[in-house]
Parts: sequence; C-alpha cells; structure tokens
Amino acid sequence: MTFNAFLSLLHGAGVTISVSLAGIALGVPFGLALALLRWQRVPLLAPLATVYVSLLRSTPAVTLCLLIFFALPVIGIEIDALSAAVATLTLNTAAFNCEIWRSGLMNFSRDQIEAARTFGMSGPLTFRRIIFPQLWRTCLPSLVNEMTLLIKSSTAIAVIGVAEITRAAIRIGAQTYDPLPPMLVATGIYIVLVLVFVGLQRFTERVYGHAGGAA
Amino acid sequence: MTDTAVKANDISVLEISGITKTFDDKVVLDGVSLTVARGQTVCLLGPSGSGKSTLLRCVNWLERPDQGTVLLCGERIGMRKGGVVPMGNAELARLRMRMGTVFQHFNLWPHLTVLQNIIEAPVHVQKRRRDEVIAEAEALLENVGLADKRDAFPSRLSGGQKQRVGIARALAMKPELLLFDEPTSALDPELVGEVIAVMKSLSQAGSTMLVVTHEMGFARETADKVVLMDGGRIVEQGDPEQFFGNPRTERARQFLQRYVSA
Ligand SMILES: Nc1ncnc2c1ncn2[C@@H]1O[C@H](COP(=O)(O)OP(=O)(O)OP(=O)(O)O)[C@@H](O)[C@H]1O
Ligand SMILES: [Mg+2]
Repeated sequence: MTFNAFLSLLHGAGVTISVSLAGIALGVPFGLALALLRWQRVPLLAPLATVYVSLLRSTPAVTLCLLIFFALPVIGIEIDALSAAVATLTLNTAAFNCEIWRSGLMNFSRDQIEAARTFGMSGPLTFRRIIFPQLWRTCLPSLVNEMTLLIKSSTAIAVIGVAEITRAAIRIGAQTYDPLPPMLVATGIYIVLVLVFVGLQRFTERVYGHAGGAA
Repeated sequence: MTDTAVKANDISVLEISGITKTFDDKVVLDGVSLTVARGQTVCLLGPSGSGKSTLLRCVNWLERPDQGTVLLCGERIGMRKGGVVPMGNAELARLRMRMGTVFQHFNLWPHLTVLQNIIEAPVHVQKRRRDEVIAEAEALLENVGLADKRDAFPSRLSGGQKQRVGIARALAMKPELLLFDEPTSALDPELVGEVIAVMKSLSQAGSTMLVVTHEMGFARETADKVVLMDGGRIVEQGDPEQFFGNPRTERARQFLQRYVSA
C-alpha cells in the first residue's frame, strides 16, 4: 500500500468521523424530542413520532440513504451527497435514540416528579432541573452503544458516492489488486473510533458518575 | 380552651368543602369538609384506603376533585373565579408554593445534595436570592439536627435523616400550610421518634399543619383537632382529649381499639 493510498484512507476516516459526529450531534437531541412527545402523549405529534420510529427502525440505512438522495430532488429539494449522508444517519439514529430516551423517561421516578410539582415547579423546569440531570446518566451507556452502531453502519452512505473509510479501502484494494492491507487498516480505524467512544463514556461516568441512587 | 377559641376565630388557612372524588366508579372521597385554622395542627386518621392521601392530593390539586372547593387562606385552588375555568399551570404553581408537602417516601431528589434539595424550589421557583436561601437552609438544617449533612447526598442518609431533610425542604418555601402524608410510616421504628420530635416542635412553634398519621401518641399530644376518615367520609372529629378519651361514634371506638392497642 502506497503512502497516497494511506492518506486517502485517512481522508475516508475523516469523512466517517465527521459525518458520524454530525449524525450523533443532531440525532441524540432529535431522539430526545421524539421521546418527550411520546412520553407527554402530545396529541397528534405523539402518534406521528410512534409511526416515525417504527418506519425508520425497519428501513435499512442504505435504502434510507438512496431514498433521501434520489427522492428528495424529485419533490424539488436539491441535496448534496454529504448532506444526504448526515440526514440518513441522523434520521436513522434518532429513531433508536428515541427508544432509549423513552425507556429512561418511563422508568423515571414518578415520586420525584410529583415532589417537583408540589413545590410549584413547572414541567420544563422539572425536566431541566430534576429529570434530565439523572436521565442522561442512565441513558448514556445505551446511547453510546447506539453511537458505535452508527459509526459502523455509516458505511451505508458509500452507496451515494461519499468516500468514507470502507469505500476508500475498496477503491485502493481495486487499484492495487491487494485488498487485504487497506481493509485491515480500515478495520483498525473503526476499532479505534469505537474504543474512543467507549473510553469517553467511561470517563464521563467517572467524572459525573454520581446519580445518587434511590433516595 | 380560650387559646383554641381564639385560633378558631382566626381566618382558616385551609378550608375544604364538600370534596367528592371518584376513580372509575369507586367513590374515594364522599363530601369531605374540613378546616384548618392558622396555627392549628390537625391530625387525619383512618384505615388504609379511606381516602386520606387522596384528600391531601386534592388539597394541592395533584388530583382534581369532581366536586367541592379548596380554599387556601380564602383563595380558591384549581379553579378561577366563578369556579368554572380550570386554573393555568403558573397560577396553580403559585398556590402550591404556599403549601409544603412532606411525603411518606421522602421523595428527595437523589442527584442533589441535602442543601441543594432544600434550596431548589426557593431559588428556581420562588426566585429568591441564592445566598439568602442558603443561609436560611443552613439554619433549617441546624433546627432539624442535620447541619453536618449539608453536602451529603440523600442516598447516604438514614430514613429518619431523609425525612428531616424532607421537612426542611418543605419549610424552606416558607409555606402557610404544611401537609404531611404518613411521614413516619416508611421508617424503621427506632427512627420514628426523631421525626416526630421535629414535627412536635414545629407544631409548638405555631406552624399550620395537616398531618395524616398512624402515630396515635403524636395525635393525642400534639393535635388541636383529630379527624377520623373511613370510606371517603369524615366519621368523627373533635379535640384529641374527647376523641381518644370518649369517642362519640361506634366507628371511632372500633378504630381506636385496633390502632391504639396495636
Ligand atoms: N389514581 C388512582 N386511581 C384509582 N384508584 C385510586 C387512585 N388513587 C387512589 N385510589 C384508590 O382510592 C382509595 C383511597 O386511596 P388513598 O390512597 O387515598 O387511601 P389512604 O387513606 O391514603 O390509604 P393508606 O393508609 O393506605 O395510604 C383506595 O382504594 C385506592 O385504591
Ligand atoms: Mg395514603
């Protein structure tokens, strides 16, 4: 494998990382918003969120990506490949994140919420001050797990020509007639990425670990 | 005696009239009326399922009664003038702030320290100055004997300590009325005394309290009025001496036999 080939793999890694991070940064709060709609049983929007989650969970990322990239222009929305890639990962991961947040919310202590209400706390204030500081801690392991799945499934965006790691590795393999080295390097990069996320999770848990336990 | 008469003439802090509440065809409260005058301690007794908790939940409108009214210092809770329009959340919150609730299972917020639990609502709901509230909270902790637990998390406290924090948290709102729902029922027997002691001193200091309890000793010694509920109705109320010494109704006699001997 040449140095240039290695560079293009690194470039692919950069694309994978940035597209994944964008998907996470958008998908985690979007999932929370969906979860809150369902948890609060907001009329109209809650059932819509439920339908959204079932649809997105049963659509493969590749299919979703093609759909976004080729179908949106048909209804007059122009979208470049990179944006389509981010949109795919965001919409997909949001559905799974919604389920994670929602189960955290459903298991949240009703007693604590009731205490907040009797002390005159509004719904938003209760969420901000009482629920969320505990919720993110309980949801973090599952969210990070979903993040690692997202990184690995991000290779689906290659289908619309985005040069992420795996696509870069395949291309180098095809040019050199020696597919093994680039594939091994690509695998190594995925492993490092996932380990970094898991490490960050461990670190966060250590620093903000105090969730108090039952009161 | 004259003391009680003066208290009774004072404006009622809490005035419950004709509260009815039904849960899927089950009548849980059946026309309950009750007043608590300023400075009074009223103990609410009754067997399990008689509707005591539901009544307290109607007082701070966590549960919406089907009929009847609740007045806090003359102001109607839950319904706007005329009694047809439900109150908005903000208005409801402003009334709820004037009542402090102490829960059977403490319901402390586990991610906040003892001090943070106490100052949470005064700072973020009442929007009072943080340094002022902290000073008050420290004084309250001193009063309930937990000054050294200021920065501990609730999970590190015993049940009795948690409940004393629960009481301090309620007091920090400077409420006009304190509601207690079986504050000692979840405690190990040897921890009941420390919580009862705090409640007694509050009562003696002139707090207005409505206390659901099974602690007959506390009711007998501290209450200005004892109320017995059964099947969603008030079956007897009176001053403790009369209630415990010479109950008027057969139902009260049965109840006392079971609970006082137990
Ligand atoms: N949200 C609810 N939905 C249906 N039934 C309820 C609800 N809340 C209370 N009940 C019923 O109302 C009745 C009175 O309950 P409540 O909790 O007020 O009794 P209590 O006097 O506080 O009893 P305890 O001493 O056990 O606490 C019970 O039969 C209970 O099952
Ligand atoms: Mg009860």
